Amino acid sequence: MFKNYILIALRNMMHNKLYSLINIGGLALGLAVFVFATVLSNYEKTHDMFFDKADRIYTLGSVFSPTANVGVIEDDNVYTTMAPLLTAEVPDIEAIARIVKHEFLLSMGDRKFYQDIKFADKAFLKIFDFDYLAGDSSALDDPSGIVLTETMARKYFPSPDFSAEMAMGQVISLDHKHDLRVTAVIRDVPKNSHFSSSLFGDYLAVVATLPALNKMTGYNLDGNWGNLTSGNLTYVLLPAHLDAEWLERQANGVFDRHASDYAKDYLTGLKSHRLQDVNLVIWDMLGLPVIEGMVVLGFLVLIIAGLNYTNLATAQAMGRAKEVGLRKTMGASRGQLLTQFLIESMAIAMIAMLVALAMLEMIIPVFNDSMGKIVSLEYSSLLPSLMGVTFLVGLIAGLYPAYVIIRATPVDALNNALGTGSKGSFVRSCMMGAQFVISIVMLAMVAVVSFQNEKMKESSEIYPKSQIVTLQRLGVDDLQGRLETLQREMNTIPEVENVTFSSRVPFEQGSWTFDVTKNSGDVAAKVSLHRIAVEYDFLKTYDIPLIAGRDFSRDFANDLETRDSRAVNVILNELALKKIGFASAEDALNKSFYQVYGGHAAAKKSKAYVIVGVMADQNFLGLHNDVKPFVFRVDPRYYYKASIRIKGQNLTQTMEEINDIWQKINPDYPIQVKFLDEIFDMTFKRSRAINMVLAGFAVMALTLAFVGLFGLSAFMAERRTKEIGLRKVMGAKTHQIVLLLIWQFSRPVLWALALALPLAYLASDAYLTSFADRINLQMVLIAGSGLVALVLSWLIVSAHAVRVARRKPITALRYE
Amino acid sequence: MLKLNNLSKVYRTEEVETTALNNISFHIEKGEFVAIMGPSGCGKSTLLNIIGMLDNPSSGEYHFLGEEIAQASEKQLANIRKQNIGFIFQSFNLIDELTVSENVELALLYNDVPAKERKERVARVLDKVGIAHRARHMPSQLSGGQQQRVAVARALVAEPAMILADEPTGNLDSAHGEEVMQMLKSLNEEGSTIIMVTHSPSHADYARRTINLFDGQVVTEIYRAAE
Repeated sequence: MFKNYILIALRNMMHNKLYSLINIGGLALGLAVFVFATVLSNYEKTHDMFFDKADRIYTLGSVFSPTANVGVIEDDNVYTTMAPLLTAEVPDIEAIARIVKHEFLLSMGDRKFYQDIKFADKAFLKIFDFDYLAGDSSALDDPSGIVLTETMARKYFPSPDFSAEMAMGQVISLDHKHDLRVTAVIRDVPKNSHFSSSLFGDYLAVVATLPALNKMTGYNLDGNWGNLTSGNLTYVLLPAHLDAEWLERQANGVFDRHASDYAKDYLTGLKSHRLQDVNLVIWDMLGLPVIEGMVVLGFLVLIIAGLNYTNLATAQAMGRAKEVGLRKTMGASRGQLLTQFLIESMAIAMIAMLVALAMLEMIIPVFNDSMGKIVSLEYSSLLPSLMGVTFLVGLIAGLYPAYVIIRATPVDALNNALGTGSKGSFVRSCMMGAQFVISIVMLAMVAVVSFQNEKMKESSEIYPKSQIVTLQRLGVDDLQGRLETLQREMNTIPEVENVTFSSRVPFEQGSWTFDVTKNSGDVAAKVSLHRIAVEYDFLKTYDIPLIAGRDFSRDFANDLETRDSRAVNVILNELALKKIGFASAEDALNKSFYQVYGGHAAAKKSKAYVIVGVMADQNFLGLHNDVKPFVFRVDPRYYYKASIRIKGQNLTQTMEEINDIWQKINPDYPIQVKFLDEIFDMTFKRSRAINMVLAGFAVMALTLAFVGLFGLSAFMAERRTKEIGLRKVMGAKTHQIVLLLIWQFSRPVLWALALALPLAYLASDAYLTSFADRINLQMVLIAGSGLVALVLSWLIVSAHAVRVARRKPITALRYE
Repeated sequence: MLKLNNLSKVYRTEEVETTALNNISFHIEKGEFVAIMGPSGCGKSTLLNIIGMLDNPSSGEYHFLGEEIAQASEKQLANIRKQNIGFIFQSFNLIDELTVSENVELALLYNDVPAKERKERVARVLDKVGIAHRARHMPSQLSGGQQQRVAVARALVAEPAMILADEPTGNLDSAHGEEVMQMLKSLNEEGSTIIMVTHSPSHADYARRTINLFDGQVVTEIYRAAE
């Protein structure tokens, strides 16, 4: 019996090759997308589990208060002063370690590299059991110890017969100032760790001690309530019986007892994360449920594929009415027929799953290569769920066609008179409509997201992006004294229009704020502004227009801020002056406002800032955020970056000349060049990546829906051959029949439109709320997506309609 | 074998009521060969479907082997049917995706016959209808006459007490038609009860009794003397 079922299932597939291909292919595609989304989400959610104590390691993060205005909801780190406070006040914590990232120039003799170093408390190596090629977990007990990964050790100490032992004890100097000694070499951390996450773009390569950082920067980490930097994590190791909630309570207790008022204004509290969630904290920070969203999208695509299969299988099952009628005549019971059809659909689901897995085996390596991940299909652990999904898909998708076909009486079945009722076609239309609802909403979202991205890119054109070359990392003492020479020499290059310095350049993420008030000492009315140190020609270099007042000039002594300045001239944007409390640009000109010092304003004498210029509100600080209130001041103490505006011809030669001049002036520091374009792309690529993923899902969904429509309309057109023949005999013209068929086949798509358009509006509205500069084309785009879906569906349907309608009426009639 | 008493079948839609069979009563003994004749739309096929338990009557009694089954459930009917009745259709109704022997085997599949026995019985019956050499062919590779022989084989293989044939020669040329009639005749001689719907008076002559239907009613019954 079983053999007979399988046999007839297989022969049926071979008999209707096109439908089988559409059926299996569609289902395979849906399954592949779903399995991939699930596997990827699982991969992202189980990072770092290979560390021995993974289930006892937590990190602490901060939740911003709504007024903090930093563009993200939370941060993955806490103030560095939290660790010593927790150690002192919460004895149950087993170990705690901070890491602070800092980039230095590393030199080993003649070899020099810029490198991000993670400076850590020595407990770091006790919390994480790295794989030591040389040395051991006591490597950071010595404050001048430094730990390298194998890759870094090979890079710094290249040798044909490299061994980890060779690197041990070698001296590495930071910024030519401070010598460290290699005390351990560890194997590279596997890619499924937040230490090598492609999401962070921040790899664990070199680890040194916090005291070493202290020596370099003189910066005291303890007792400091002013430094929150993403990626500078604090790790906590708890005994097995304590959990994340407990840690969160303790940490918030400590925070409430010790934090400065400023810190409490800025944060609403602290949050703990399990180690395995750390990899995903970046999405929490942005408030985007990317991983969950991916799984939901994958599931929706699977639903579309399932509906597709059900619909086609139902249509196809009707073609098998005769077989069913016969089987009934032979005495087959409903149960037996049900079993037969379910076995068939499960067999198809299984084939589809095998095809899906084969597709994934080909796609995943490519994906891993390009994304820097090591996702894999672990069959031993996946098998039960793969089988479960296959079984469920086969069962659910097969149930309706099986029901339709076996509910008919043998006589109806033999006479091919089943499922032609209006109820059956209603159900099929609903299934088709549901597919299109999902697809159209996805398509509309892709359109909205990509147009918003374009808008963002367009907004970025306010700065002469392609003409600006930035030199990074000038904040080193050795270089600070050479900036004037550098500027003078660079200006001699014919292609260079201008050279200027600043604390930051447009599009960089991050914030550096200070509190000010309109009336001196009026602490209650303080507002927080972003500050940016610039050089005299900065506004000119970046084409930033003034709407009132004047640009900075060397002719005014007070334009230059120094440590002892009591009154400084500044230029601010309109938003800033409104926040401070000025009515208009004209009203604000030549007025002053005053700095407020955190908590103890009275202790210091307030510094006055005099407004000499007002600029338009520009999104200087990254386009993903609201426009921020900010203040420009000329303050050479913070010239960390140079911006060189070039004419844009002979780029290669210009770059060579810039390089040569740098080499001449700063032979001891390699040049670090970034085009402003690149800096913009750093943040832009995240939005683009989200859109790419969404587009991928949408393309899959839409393809499946169209393939389904294609298959179903082919089938229905075939079944109506006789009706069409009769219409022609009665005198219907070909185009009338084509129109009739198109109208009837596209009705589900029209219904889907009515439902999808409002849904798409709600979804896109939710997405767009996070953008300050949002597109106003939303409605047009949504309607356009609907139109695209409709027109495409017409094209697909008309292919069949024209073919069937053009047949000679006699062929059509003879069909029966 | 079977007995019909005041059997009626009425098709109802919202607006129209069509009486397909109107108070039909007759009985058929074991081993009889009965032909049912009448013009198109007189209810022949409906009657055969009810006798074959593919359909339920609207009213009246239907005794089959002494059991009243007029309002039996589909499941009960399926059980009686698969053990007692073989069908031959005008349009053969072979499954295109199955070979000749698999088509014949189908009739045994739902009777829980072990695989080995199924094979033997299928071979035997194919031999009997003279189509054994085509056992592995697909129906589409056979002529109409050959296809109908396969259908006859399928009707026989489960060794049913009664064979119902709905215009078995309707789609065949006269030579093949004769062939099939000869086959039915010899089956009857071996003891099978045969009920056949036909349009052809000459084919009806193979039967011992002819029931003439008109507008859903039995108008005449003609008995033919044994040859």
